[in-house]
Amino acid sequence: MDGKNLRDKNYWGKLKKDVARQKWIYMLIVLPLVYYFIFKYIPLWNAQIAFRNFKSVRYGITTSPWVGMENFYEFVTSHYFWSLIRNTLMYSVGKIIVSLPLSIILAIAIYECRHGALRKVVQTLAYLPHFLSWVIMYGILLSLFAPGDGIINDLIKFFGGQPIDFLTNAKAFPWLVIFSDAWKEMGWSAIIFIAALMGIDVSLFEAAMVEGANSWQRVKYITFPAIKPVIVTVLLLKIGTIFEAGFNQIFMLYSPAVYSVGDIIDTWVYRQGLLEGQFGLATAAGLFKGLIGMLLLFLSNYLSKKYTESSLF
Amino acid sequence: MKTRTTLIILLALLTAISPVFAGGSKEAKADDGLTHIEMWYNATQTEVGPLPNDWVGYDILRDMGIELDASSLPSSTTDQDMKVQAAAAANELPDFFVANREVWVRLANNGMLADVTDLYELMPERTAIMFDQDAINFTTIDGRSYGFATPSIITMNEGLVIRKDWLDNLGLEVPTTLDELFDVMYAFTYNDPDGNGRNDTWGYGAFIEETIYESYPGRRFEPLMGAFGVDGTWDMSKDSFGLQIHKPEFYDYMVFMKKIIDAGVIDPNWMAYKKDDFRAAWKQGKFGIMREQNAALHAQNNYAPFDANFPEGEWIVIEPPYGPTGLRSVGPAVRGLRIWCISADAADAGKAEKICELFEWMAHDEGYFLCGWGQEGINYVLDENGIPVSTEGDIGFEGPIGQTYIQLRSMAFNYTSETELLSRYPVYTCENSGKEMSALWTLRDMQSKTWTPANGMDSMPIPGNDLKTYYQQGLAEFFTGARELTPENWQAFIDQLDKLGATAWEQEGYDYAVANSYLV
Repeated sequence: MDGKNLRDKNYWGKLKKDVARQKWIYMLIVLPLVYYFIFKYIPLWNAQIAFRNFKSVRYGITTSPWVGMENFYEFVTSHYFWSLIRNTLMYSVGKIIVSLPLSIILAIAIYECRHGALRKVVQTLAYLPHFLSWVIMYGILLSLFAPGDGIINDLIKFFGGQPIDFLTNAKAFPWLVIFSDAWKEMGWSAIIFIAALMGIDVSLFEAAMVEGANSWQRVKYITFPAIKPVIVTVLLLKIGTIFEAGFNQIFMLYSPAVYSVGDIIDTWVYRQGLLEGQFGLATAAGLFKGLIGMLLLFLSNYLSKKYTESSLF
Repeated sequence: MKTRTTLIILLALLTAISPVFAGGSKEAKADDGLTHIEMWYNATQTEVGPLPNDWVGYDILRDMGIELDASSLPSSTTDQDMKVQAAAAANELPDFFVANREVWVRLANNGMLADVTDLYELMPERTAIMFDQDAINFTTIDGRSYGFATPSIITMNEGLVIRKDWLDNLGLEVPTTLDELFDVMYAFTYNDPDGNGRNDTWGYGAFIEETIYESYPGRRFEPLMGAFGVDGTWDMSKDSFGLQIHKPEFYDYMVFMKKIIDAGVIDPNWMAYKKDDFRAAWKQGKFGIMREQNAALHAQNNYAPFDANFPEGEWIVIEPPYGPTGLRSVGPAVRGLRIWCISADAADAGKAEKICELFEWMAHDEGYFLCGWGQEGINYVLDENGIPVSTEGDIGFEGPIGQTYIQLRSMAFNYTSETELLSRYPVYTCENSGKEMSALWTLRDMQSKTWTPANGMDSMPIPGNDLKTYYQQGLAEFFTGARELTPENWQAFIDQLDKLGATAWEQEGYDYAVANSYLV
């Protein structure tokens, strides 16, 4: 028996013993596993409709005729394919660039805040928008940014400027999408960083203070390095879902006037797949997204492991 | 002991996840001798609750051997379409449901719907009232009918309306031409028509509202398109049939639209407004000219907020303006049919005859009055002319509880009878202004204006998604200035539109219109 097999045997033997000893702890994992099996793995069987001329379950999935890559071909040769890719990436990357640093800054700011009451108020106010649906957010944004009587435009007009129709102006719309998302989700995204910050050994800060480190130096040399693995993890997870640009948000906010910069893969799939009833095509687009996302995840995980020594797996 | 505990936990887990596997077991029916019919309907009032479980109609239908399971569809047509199509894909269509023609076409072509050609004779009363040859053509593919086309709205129930009090305040006449209309829009925007000393009003108000026959930017702009003879998606005349967007006059219309946008005389929120925002805006006095529906404008509950805000305010219906070649139109006049479909599964299960029995019952007095107004003496009483009048209080058919009992009204109404109209739109006195009003008067006024005959336009072929997107996006970009509106740019836009399939769509439309004798 070579060394590798021996190691493997030892590993499984240890695991078996561990499971036997801690079975109630291991039982906790059953529910998530069942969830993933039912809702994430069983549906994969139906992904085959991406390769079929599927009309309805009435006529069966497996009995629908194979069309090979026809649905994929139709998607990638669509008049809008490249603008869909560009817009989707623009929002995904834009949201990462804007939201991630803001979440980290907010988390550090909350962590560093020494006034308990103020910290709680800020934290609660920052979380609150996460619980509002995009329908509500649309109403808020309309009252803020409407060209006719929005508060922001009232201010612009008050100072002698020309009102801007943020919701239908192709130049303003992407910024509105990215920053409104940051506003809504920044507080919620900060939770994971706050949790990481809570795990830092306080004695490190005490030692740094004894050594004369100021606040910024403590953040730079203790706080930031301590949460770097979490930042990398969050970043990698976001890269894995790079083609998820936020359907709910964009669906609520966009209109034909900003299709050129607002239409993303998911909104196109909604119109083409659900409204036009082309489920094979919609599934092909979904698979395309998933595959690219997976490749990017592996690539970024590899690069992260190589250059930062932090990785997901 | 430990084994037993483990088994109990596993059993509990399996019980917890069992609904996942049980979902959609629509074959599981109680053996009660009744025909179970699952029905998705278009609610009369989506703001109030669903049809209550104690609706007396359920008992009557049980006596007829029918166990009805009625669910309301979402309020917006887009959500309705999505729900029906998703159900179709999963083979979870209800037995009997209502659909827009766009969705119906896809379902019929995919073999999801029952052939109902031979079922009309089972509904003699309803057929006599509703299913004329045009209605049957509306649901016919290759000589077979796949649904029952029923009226869903009162025809020509919209009109171009204007704030008469603003005209009077500024000493202006009712505009009759496009140039005069522009001048009034300008005055409404810049001459403080409400006299509040603030520059907070606009001439025209609208929002994007597309239908199968009113393409982007849709219905609210039809009176302006009508002045150029390009109202509706299609020109249905024999001599000049085609997509309106292909006509040179469409470019002229675009120039006029650009003019009112650039002059700032249209409420700049028009591209962002949803229907409710638009309706809230005119009630707040933000603009003075619009195309609106009779009941949305002058039904008592809808008019009350405007009456409270502006007791001296007055909206009047006007003829649409004449354009440069003397044309005018409020818009295309279609019958507004929606299609009741029997799913192929329901027909296979032998339910079609019972569904027809149910539908026919709703066209006879008992079902008609029960669905339309509720129970006599409880939800309504008949006045001296035999017109149903809502009883007092919440339980009356106009009250918040009573309204739930008439959720199936659209299945019963034919939308033309005097009884229906007089009952729906009674004369009332405004609380603040003391004016006497009726949405029926407004309806009659609107119907008397100039409309474009458009029989069959609402059943014409539909464009593919990319073509539709390009159509909408292109016009929107010209409106916002993202693309400069010049003859060259316009031609480039039309060329690309044709490349994406507009010419083929037009040819398909021509073939369909000829085959169905829709050309006039």
